[in-house]
Amino acid sequence: MKNSNTCVYEAVALKKEYEGGHVQALRGVDFRIDEGEFVSIVGSSGCGKTTLLQMLGALDKPSTGSLLYRGQSLLEMNDPSAYRAREIGFIFQSFHLLPTFTALENIQIPMLESDLPASERRGRALTLLRSVGLEHRAQHCPSKLSGGERQRVAIARSLANGPSVLLADEPTGNLDSENARIILDLLVRLHEEQKMTLVLVTHDMIIARKAGRNLRMLDGRIVFDGAPTP
Amino acid sequence: MTFFFIIVRGLTRRPVRTGLTLLGISIGIAAVVALVGISRGFEKSWETGLKARGTDIVVSKMGSSLAPKPFSDAVAAVILKLPHVAAISSQFVELLSIESSQMMMLSGRQWDGYAWKNLKLISGRMPLDAKEQAVVLGQTAADALKKKVGDPLQIEAAELTVVGIVDGGAVVENGSAVLALPLLQEIMGEQGRINVIDVRVTPGTSEAELKQLCTEIVRSAPDVTALAAGDHLSNSQSFRMVKAMSWGTSLLAVLVGVLGVMNTMLMTVFERKQEISVLLALGWKPSRIVRMVLWESALLGFLGGVAGVIIGVAGIKMLQKTEAIRGLLEPDLGIGLLLSSIVIAVVVGVLSGLYPAWRSSRITPALALQG
Repeated sequence: MKNSNTCVYEAVALKKEYEGGHVQALRGVDFRIDEGEFVSIVGSSGCGKTTLLQMLGALDKPSTGSLLYRGQSLLEMNDPSAYRAREIGFIFQSFHLLPTFTALENIQIPMLESDLPASERRGRALTLLRSVGLEHRAQHCPSKLSGGERQRVAIARSLANGPSVLLADEPTGNLDSENARIILDLLVRLHEEQKMTLVLVTHDMIIARKAGRNLRMLDGRIVFDGAPTP
Repeated sequence: MTFFFIIVRGLTRRPVRTGLTLLGISIGIAAVVALVGISRGFEKSWETGLKARGTDIVVSKMGSSLAPKPFSDAVAAVILKLPHVAAISSQFVELLSIESSQMMMLSGRQWDGYAWKNLKLISGRMPLDAKEQAVVLGQTAADALKKKVGDPLQIEAAELTVVGIVDGGAVVENGSAVLALPLLQEIMGEQGRINVIDVRVTPGTSEAELKQLCTEIVRSAPDVTALAAGDHLSNSQSFRMVKAMSWGTSLLAVLVGVLGVMNTMLMTVFERKQEISVLLALGWKPSRIVRMVLWESALLGFLGGVAGVIIGVAGIKMLQKTEAIRGLLEPDLGIGLLLSSIVIAVVVGVLSGLYPAWRSSRITPALALQG
């Protein structure tokens, strides 16, 4: 049940250090993201936004502080794989489609962790491919797809297991402006139609302004948290 | 799309590398099939030869050489007096280079011994007596030496006449040149010496009595060993050495296959580091990644095993047709050997995949967001 007042993520004094504390990627970050929000994390290169996305996706653990997902600590989660498989969908800047698999097969890959039978997995993948307007490209390998098409396939893949949260890392970073617009419109449509929580990392302020809320980062800290400024 | 489909696709993405790895394993497995098949076949055919002669106990003095060591023929008279002994047949057996054949078994048989009886004449006749300068050839030996009845045959310094071609009912027998014992003793300069006594026991002798008889033979003639016909070859030091060498050589070849699979799988894991991290970020469990690597290497092993069995069997068949050894090889390529060779290949595949699988389990999903 998606409720607009439900807290999805809550971070308190979140820190991440590397090399025995010599590199401080996050220097005590506090925020809360509610169900159905579209939040963009913005900032220049090296400000800690990707590190923060890694924490949200349970790809890495913070050095100190706490990070809760729906009230449960991501640090103490028994099975982070299950969280990644069912609760969230990842969209990467470089698409990261598997090159030897077709678009349809790529979308089915995350579903192998679900209990769906093979025929249902295929049917669901086709539906998702249709939803991103690429049904006709189902049997094409990534090398035969344009950058924009690859990212649309990657978005369809991120939705494979019906997540409630989408985490996108510079999803338009490798695309031309026209394809960037198409991808952004698609993400906004997903957020609005399916009421998905969307956390998008970008350094592009034009894209960031599409979000309902911006978390602006500088040197591992959040320096602005609020509605995008015009 | 299934998990198995992903495993197959993992192998087909680099067809040349996969093909070369398969070749490596298949050569190892082909060596297992060929060498072990030949040694097993030799053992089986030896047993068949003894059975064809109706021998129950073999008395010999096995050393480390291929042929047994000579001992006094007086031992035969001692054995003949023991209970349950129905008949004996003394022999002098030697492996020699005869004319165009690099190695042939020469069997000098006690003239009135039962070991002549199983030889069925195909052409010609048997020697007239123990003194006749005559030899009979098994049909394979005759083919190998390109001899027919009436042809002369040079054995060491003696020139004998081929008087008959025989079928001995076993590959070992058919590959031999058979002559009277005194004649061969004279040729070899071993008068009064023999190196094998075939013993036939009386009908109704139990297994326990047979074993007891073997013990009594050894007690009466401490210089020799006496073994039931089926145990004789497997207890032979030289045959055990040949068998160990077959396995040793095969396993060495398999080891090369192991290194090939391990190398391929390690390269696969390193190459697919980011891909694996993406799969982890998409929710795949580390255990599924480990299984994927292990299944890929097991599949490599299985396919290499099947190819190896085919290559091994085809190689043996070709070898059997070559002029030099035609009719001398009777490999035992039973389904058991073929299946166990494939099982060895699969086990090799899985073992070779263990380290790469462990390496794959160390890959962090955070890598997915880098680059």
